[in-house]
Amino acid sequence: MAKAPAKPAARKADPVLLSLFDVQEATLPNGLRVRLLANHQTPVVSLYTFFQVGSRNERPGITGISHLFEHMMFNGAKKYGPKKFDQTLESNGGRSNAYTSTDMTVYYEDFASDALETVLDLESDRMRSLRINDVALQSERQVVLEERRVRVDNDITGIMDEELGTLVWKAHAYRWPVIGWQKDIENISRQDCEQYFRTYYAPNNAVLYIVGDIDPKKTLALVRKYYGDIPKGPTPAPVLDAEPEQKGERRAEVRHPAQSPALMIAYRGPAARDEDTLLLDVIQYALAKGEGSRLTKKLVYDTQLAVSVGVDWGWRVDPGIILFFLELKPDSDPRKVEEALYAELERLVAEGLTERELQKAKNNLRADHLRELATNSGRAHAMGHYEALLGSWRDGLSLPSVYAAATNEQVRAVAAKYFAPERRSVVTVRPTAPVDRAGDEAAVDAKEVA
Amino acid sequence: MAARKSTTQKKPAAPATSALMLPALHESTTSSGLTVLAAERGPLPLVAMRLVVRAGSAVDPKDKHGLADFTARLMRRGTLKRSADEIDEAIEFVGASFSVGSNEDLLSFFVTTPAEHFPAMIGLLGEILREPSFPEREVALARERTLAGFANDLDDPSTIADRAFTRALWGGHPYGHDIGGSSAHVRTFTREDLVRFHGERLGPKVALLSVVGAVDPKLVLDEAEKAFAGWTGGPEVAPRIAELGKMASGRILLVDKPDQTQTQVRIGGPGFRMGHPDYFPSTAMNNVLGGGFTSRLVNEVRVERGLTYGISSYFDMLNVGGVFAISTFTQTERTREMIDVTLAEVAKVREGGIGAAELKKAQRYLAGLYPMRTETNESVASIIGDIRVHALGDDWVEKFRERLHAVKPRQTLEVAAKYLFPNPPLIVLLGKASAVKKQLKGLGSVKVVPASDYE
Repeated sequence: MAKAPAKPAARKADPVLLSLFDVQEATLPNGLRVRLLANHQTPVVSLYTFFQVGSRNERPGITGISHLFEHMMFNGAKKYGPKKFDQTLESNGGRSNAYTSTDMTVYYEDFASDALETVLDLESDRMRSLRINDVALQSERQVVLEERRVRVDNDITGIMDEELGTLVWKAHAYRWPVIGWQKDIENISRQDCEQYFRTYYAPNNAVLYIVGDIDPKKTLALVRKYYGDIPKGPTPAPVLDAEPEQKGERRAEVRHPAQSPALMIAYRGPAARDEDTLLLDVIQYALAKGEGSRLTKKLVYDTQLAVSVGVDWGWRVDPGIILFFLELKPDSDPRKVEEALYAELERLVAEGLTERELQKAKNNLRADHLRELATNSGRAHAMGHYEALLGSWRDGLSLPSVYAAATNEQVRAVAAKYFAPERRSVVTVRPTAPVDRAGDEAAVDAKEVA
Repeated sequence: MAARKSTTQKKPAAPATSALMLPALHESTTSSGLTVLAAERGPLPLVAMRLVVRAGSAVDPKDKHGLADFTARLMRRGTLKRSADEIDEAIEFVGASFSVGSNEDLLSFFVTTPAEHFPAMIGLLGEILREPSFPEREVALARERTLAGFANDLDDPSTIADRAFTRALWGGHPYGHDIGGSSAHVRTFTREDLVRFHGERLGPKVALLSVVGAVDPKLVLDEAEKAFAGWTGGPEVAPRIAELGKMASGRILLVDKPDQTQTQVRIGGPGFRMGHPDYFPSTAMNNVLGGGFTSRLVNEVRVERGLTYGISSYFDMLNVGGVFAISTFTQTERTREMIDVTLAEVAKVREGGIGAAELKKAQRYLAGLYPMRTETNESVASIIGDIRVHALGDDWVEKFRERLHAVKPRQTLEVAAKYLFPNPPLIVLLGKASAVKKQLKGLGSVKVVPASDYE
């Protein structure tokens, strides 16, 4: 058995990163955590607010509420009423957006540095006193249904992804899509949203990251001024991971009027805090990062079985999936492509990586890590991401040293553990004939009909 | 920072943020005639390079649409000294990245690298530009992959709608075909086509290299000299693209994709070229109409009616011309409502202009966020290339916010009257034609074509 990677306590922060992260930290009496980082290179600031709530916290009947609720956060609070949030922000030289994932909901603003106080006023207003009304909810519901149509119903990857979720997970909330089931989106009520707000949007469930052209001391005083009086909320109930062990390969087929077959293959992986996670980062890079990566070289260039191959290993709070997506040619036999992929994974288990491949993966992980930190927004987001998933943003600074310590023996052990057929779920798209157009009066000819 | 009550309502009209400057530029020309601009910028130990060549899709041969982009993508698949695998290994082992971008006017080769590998990476960039070998096998494989990509694009409604829109809008002009071409043309590409295109169109006199990051400008100039020594080929001066004729207007192209539950909507008409004096008033005006998240279009179409998840209007500016366009989507049954509401909002601005407060808001919004475009080495390297290629003036970044703030309400009214569809626009729709067509009565002539026309 391979030796486990270094324990977090033994991790050493990268000196280059350490010099960039002179962070001021504070926790307000109401539990709000604040992280401040000055960078005076350009006169702009990024503010990120991470709430520890996502589709993971939902239940059947209200799937998609985390995301729908994210939309509601832009629809008016006590001081800044309907439409005022974005109007005020934009007219002060800023912009805002948000995203929801399985594990978190993240709001962010980029703005000219002189708008800092206005942005804190806006953000704290909606955390303190969001107002949810039926008219706005009804309108946002339509917007979200339209978003669902574009991202899932009219997108093959979206369709496959949704199918895969229900195949991999039987009990865990990861089984439904973040955007939710259509019927649930249609039925979520104002009361559901209000309860969601009270439960998850309290200061003790949030962390602020402010990075850019700021004076940390003055900024912390402003944060206290605007957020200090927001009452603490109850501690949200923990999510139970009741997912049973997978006993064998699972398969689903989607019949769709697509041009080509496509494959999505998932292996059940560890949770973000598991130490295997970072070895899977190394494996992900060796397999699919760049034209010369193992799978791209083998499946796309050498055997020409696939048009493209991607590997997504996304960290999650609870055990997630290592996802392979293969785009095929119209006449491909997906089974043959699958076999070629499995042969490559078996080879990885048997032989590991070459020393050069291992070093290459490490070099790229470090370079990408640095690129991620090139902007205020990138730095703020990285800190939030690491804190939400690893427990501390400081663990992010030691990632390069942990990657650097990874050995081939560990790579093989981790590959053997996770790339086992019984951990696998496969979704195949099989093209059907296009929708029958006979009797379709608009399409019978292509001539001008004035 | 001022007291709370004075910050949210009353703000000084001029931006209080500090001046915006690009890092100092060091310019030189290599012995082969390539212009090099270097700028030192920390603190991360990274360097970004962009090499632009004035050889975009507008110079594709008539029967070889997509050749510029295809050639550029194949250049890294082999040189006289190295195979594709050896090139991949050289770039990817050290954590560098290499990518190609194409548009109608330009090919761009982007390299980012850890600073310690800068000399090796600029050397490789030079090798790829000077002596690509275009191996027969790599050309064949790329052709096949590209054709498979075209087929798979038919499953992406947004891509097909954009493709149909480009073709219908520009018609026979060199900007009127997709940058990647079409399957009918790409199918005919041979190694000789690529060799000829590279020799005739890519050369130091129509190229520019910008290098930004943690590297001494003197080293940049020395290494560039070595990397590009002896590069010959390409034209002496930038190619001339034909002036724009009359744009398509007043008709509807309905692309049939019967499995859709949603209609992709594109609406467009003439705009203006890059660097045109109408740029600042138009940018401010458009921000109010369909630019930011609080634009009139977002408000009326998304917020008030829940008709879409996204809608925006934009000016697309190229070297000799441009378009003003709107891009959105909605559920099949509400296609007509979407078109009517959208066109009504455009007409309101065309006829009534925007308010003084709206203009001020747009100016503050655009000026406040503008500095973000200079945040990374990559974006600085890009902006330097654009400034030179499109002759925007070396003070473009520095003066941007000042020029934006100088826009007067009367100017926005003028550009609105000029560009917001004074003549009926072209409308391209992609969706379930049998359900959409009957909603279109009275909007103009409708032509229905199958989605497969755009493979």
